Amino acid sequence: MDNIDIRTQRTRIENINALPTVPGTVKKVSQVIGKPGVTLSEISQFVVGDPALTTKVLKMVNSAVYGFPGRISSVSHAIMLLGLSVVKGLLLGISVFEIMQQVMAGLWDHSVGCAVVARAIAEKKGLKDPEEVSVGGLLHDFGKVILMLEYQTQYEEAMKQAASRKTAIFEAERAVFQETHSAVGTWLAERWRFPPNLVEVIECHHRPGSARKAPMETAIVHFSDILVRARGFGFGGDPLVPAVHPAAFDLLALTDADIREVLDKLENSREESGSLSL
Amino acid sequence: MPRIASDKLQPGMVLAKPLVGKNGMTLLGEGTELTERWIERIQDMDLEGGIFVEGPSEQTVPLEEALAALEARFETVLDRPHMARIKKIVREQIESLYT
Repeated sequence: MDNIDIRTQRTRIENINALPTVPGTVKKVSQVIGKPGVTLSEISQFVVGDPALTTKVLKMVNSAVYGFPGRISSVSHAIMLLGLSVVKGLLLGISVFEIMQQVMAGLWDHSVGCAVVARAIAEKKGLKDPEEVSVGGLLHDFGKVILMLEYQTQYEEAMKQAASRKTAIFEAERAVFQETHSAVGTWLAERWRFPPNLVEVIECHHRPGSARKAPMETAIVHFSDILVRARGFGFGGDPLVPAVHPAAFDLLALTDADIREVLDKLENSREESGSLSL
Repeated sequence: MPRIASDKLQPGMVLAKPLVGKNGMTLLGEGTELTERWIERIQDMDLEGGIFVEGPSEQTVPLEEALAALEARFETVLDRPHMARIKKIVREQIESLYT
């Protein structure tokens, strides 16, 4: 099995609608959210036209991930409340749910856990759009899904290497692919016209020191990833807890009580929705 | 914070979350102690999914196993800045689930 330079595959990956292994549901969502100048009302129509998707959107929006428990009963209400980029992220998260379950058991739990924790920390820090940070938590590992789908043999090799060398999965990815899931996620986030802050969170969540536009949001998702792994909830490709970036952790300035509260919220969200299975 | 089915509610249980009716209105606040009368009303309402009450949830993994797994996860990073502190907070949270 040859290693790949995934950077040479960038254009192919960005053209996600042509990738053979990506399911039709993801492609449909990809087309809608990637359309230049797409309006909330077009998205609303898209969701409302698909009853299964409507159910999932409402379930997700009423869960601990978004903090509006039991209060949103219509798609148009949800969409107006959350705004365009959060809705795009939500739709993508939902469409990716099934493939996450398929390609890596535990990845969905890990991603939802990160979303819940990221949101809780964003609220503590008084950020004005905690839902956007939550989307960053939900989607930060999306690149792993694409790598697993399209380059399964190589990704399984990367996971094996991570396990045997006791290193983080992103280090093994770099060894096998010359780049990590963060890069792949970033290419697609840009293709889907996600806001620059969210793109940066996906790009820099493993190296928050590089964040320029959104250092706080990036630090939040960086630490959320670590905390969810520390708690042993879900699975992100390796069973280890990475070391937190010291400057990012200092930026968050969380007390022990803050961290404990966030862990309690994570615990409650687990119980509330099993594993928020859609 | 276990979720209890309506037919298994007991007087004295305390609501861990507000009880919200089908129309979105809060019927009973968080922290309300349930009486037999309230339980009957709740059962009449035929709510899906059960009610969240205060108290420890059943844990599927024994405490020793959970703590051993915690040690293993942190093994390679304990000497890095802040990691021992983070591990301690997580450990305390895990232990609190078993009391």
